[in-house]
Amino acid sequence: MRVAMIGTGYVGLVSGACFSEFGIDVVCVDTDADKIARLNRGETPIFEPGLDALIEANTKSGRLSFTTDLAAAVKAAEAVFIAVGTPSRRGDGHADLSYVYEAARQIAAALDGYTVVVTKSTVPVGTGQEVARVIREARPDADFDVASNPEFLREGSAIEDFMRPDRVVIGTESERAQAVMSELYRPLFLRETPIVWTALQTAELIKYAANTFLATKITFINEVADLCERVGANVQEVAKAIGLDGRIGAKFLHPGPGYGGSCFPKDTRALVATARDAGAPLTIIEQVVAVNDARKKQMAEKIIDACGGSVAGKTIAVLGLTFKPNTDDMRESASLDIVPALQDAGATVRAYDPEGMDEAKDLLNGLVWCADAYDAMTGADAVAILTEWNQFRALDLGRMKGLLKEPLMIDLRNIYNPAEMAAAGFRYTSVGRPENGI
Amino acid sequence: MRIAMIGTGYVGLVSGACFSEFGVDVVCVDKDESKIKTLEAGGLPIYEPGLDNLVVANRRAGRLSFTTDLAGAVAEADAVFIAVGTPSRRGDGHADLSYVFAAAEEIAKALDGYTVVVTKSTVPVGTGREVKHIIANTRPDADFDVVSNPEFLREGSAINDFMRPDRVVIGIEGHRARELMRELYRPLYLAETPIIFTSLETAELIKYAANTFLATKITFINEVADLCERVGANVHDVAKGIGLDGRIGRKFLHPGPGYGGSCFPKDTLALVRTAQEAGAPLRIIETVVDINAKRKRAMADVVIETCGGSVAGKTIAILGLTFKPNTDDMRDAPSLDIVPALIEAGASVRAFDPVGMEEAKKLLSGVDWGDDAYATMQDADALVIVTEWNEFRALDLERVKRLLKSPILVDLRNIYEPREIVEQGFTYRSIGRPYPPRRD
Repeated sequence: MRVAMIGTGYVGLVSGACFSEFGIDVVCVDTDADKIARLNRGETPIFEPGLDALIEANTKSGRLSFTTDLAAAVKAAEAVFIAVGTPSRRGDGHADLSYVYEAARQIAAALDGYTVVVTKSTVPVGTGQEVARVIREARPDADFDVASNPEFLREGSAIEDFMRPDRVVIGTESERAQAVMSELYRPLFLRETPIVWTALQTAELIKYAANTFLATKITFINEVADLCERVGANVQEVAKAIGLDGRIGAKFLHPGPGYGGSCFPKDTRALVATARDAGAPLTIIEQVVAVNDARKKQMAEKIIDACGGSVAGKTIAVLGLTFKPNTDDMRESASLDIVPALQDAGATVRAYDPEGMDEAKDLLNGLVWCADAYDAMTGADAVAILTEWNQFRALDLGRMKGLLKEPLMIDLRNIYNPAEMAAAGFRYTSVGRPENGI
Repeated sequence: MRIAMIGTGYVGLVSGACFSEFGVDVVCVDKDESKIKTLEAGGLPIYEPGLDNLVVANRRAGRLSFTTDLAGAVAEADAVFIAVGTPSRRGDGHADLSYVFAAAEEIAKALDGYTVVVTKSTVPVGTGREVKHIIANTRPDADFDVVSNPEFLREGSAINDFMRPDRVVIGIEGHRARELMRELYRPLYLAETPIIFTSLETAELIKYAANTFLATKITFINEVADLCERVGANVHDVAKGIGLDGRIGRKFLHPGPGYGGSCFPKDTLALVRTAQEAGAPLRIIETVVDINAKRKRAMADVVIETCGGSVAGKTIAILGLTFKPNTDDMRDAPSLDIVPALIEAGASVRAFDPVGMEEAKKLLSGVDWGDDAYATMQDADALVIVTEWNEFRALDLERVKRLLKSPILVDLRNIYEPREIVEQGFTYRSIGRPYPPRRD
């Protein structure tokens, strides 16, 4: 079995490397010659635990290669995956599909023999049918089917998610395409991973429905956290108790500064736009988008409140900038709202992030970039934890007190215990938990 | 261990019967003499599978009794449970706590020796503390603690939910009350049921948070179902695809005509009000409340649309009226919106429900009541399934077709397979499963 993976972004690289680990011959294609040259030299352009080793092993075994030659890769392939980017289009929130359709045209020109063209990128409902139309128009003679096979990878655990998924969703009603896809996923099939076979449009919708539901779950607990602060309840105990309800589940009930990243903000906005266009608005998701956008901005207010109502002339140490730990991804991170708002309010921000600072430097200005957490806190009036990297979970509180001008911590990820912080002499504010730690 | 259960409504009866099954001596108290008489005569004012056997067995064993004498029951009890009604107050959506506070005052007067007073009814955040004030003010000498122990019973499976819960939540202050509650729940403790001890306020909020989250989950899939109809996707496959995600879970992803019942509508509304007053509005839940109310009304339009745009002068057969199967509960059932809207649109409505008709008759007028499913649909212009009682799941479709004037089936619970029904010659409309599937 030979696969061409079009696009060497996050999804393309992880999927390509994992399919090759399954024993499939995978050629990853990108128009960016520089990127391909780097990949061929053994460099990985993204940070994902385990990916380096996987790429190295499968390149060595000859099952994984990188090229700019789309035509040759497609020609030799039985399945071609479209894994190019689908950024939010400026202004209307729609996914920008120009890369997808351009890829479809180039694939069409190169098709040779029966081929399944698979959309792996997250694409709105109807894109698969449009891809089929584009290919048919360009190559009326081509023998192909289009399938949708959305990825459910989480940055930081993407390899595991690919190898041991909760389920695989495959949208195609063609038996020939089903046979090819079955063969591709045989290792998972043998392990009794549930495979959801459905129609093209339904598969496309599943990806968005899953992500928007999870975004709703996060936003729900975030709002409950705010209520807890007002009524003196503890959101972690609320989350634990409702999470034990089998119909709810414990996951995604961690309150914080609002969701970010490359998926939830983009996918929620895209589905809202799709639904509006279809005449069936998803009102809950619209509200989730609005609440989350407002929340990220409110988090700077929370820090300012904890600092006594003003940060003018003060120095705030910010720990963590990426949208979550174990990634260098800064896309739509809460820090992008919080840091500029603190600066606007007159604060100097000293920041440290274990992996994200290179990315962050392109997006944030006027910060003092620090060498580690303690460096960031040196001489600061308060420390704010924005991302729950493991290295921030067990800071030396005594040392911190020596470094900070004031023993004041704003913990937007609830990684410290309020009672312990109080005992250590800190003023401590977290999300949705009484400050004296009941 | 002796407990008094104040209130013999749904929660009080189920909890009382189940505690007595645990081996606890339970006295259930109600002001309503005729209700207590009925109970003493072996009658049950509510329908809940398995409850009658439990009541009979434990009365026979002498562990369960009924009385109107609150003072006597409370004086002897180690724990007193407040399980009175907390209806939505007319107008503002707040839970009406007058029964709770009146019970607290009466309990206070009767307290004798250390007693734990437990709120079992679903009560808003802060109620436990208010109960504590009332008791302390009424009886400054009383030796007591207040505990919040919300119930998570589902009508139709309440006994099992009590005996094998996902978790028990106990909001508490003070060591003595904790020991007593632990003793009361010992059979569950031994079965390794997670027991969450937390503060009063947190326990009170947990109940609302759980119900409002579930209401959100239902409403989410209902909106997705509407989108599926527009884009030609199948909501059952969507629900399966997302439900297999361990972070989502497959439960409560069944689309339908909107949630009803005694809990979700009341609790969502009450939490919205609590949050607004606390200055932390829950905008997602506000949206959920709004969508669900509109949805129930929109279901009549789905029926009218499927009937070709008008039901004037037509006869519509309705199967199922209760808010869900295996209950006689009609509170906030979608049928209460759908049926009057159809009548207003000029339809004659003939309806049947296996258990709920007695309740329904009090709430719906101008309806022709059927004797069974088939009698109800005879010569009707369309058949509408509103509640998924098992007996409606395997109707003889040939017979249905013969009985109906025109073979139109509107299935608001998705209990039939679209392809099969359409191939049998029906015009079929369900929720979020367009058939034949749309192809561009």
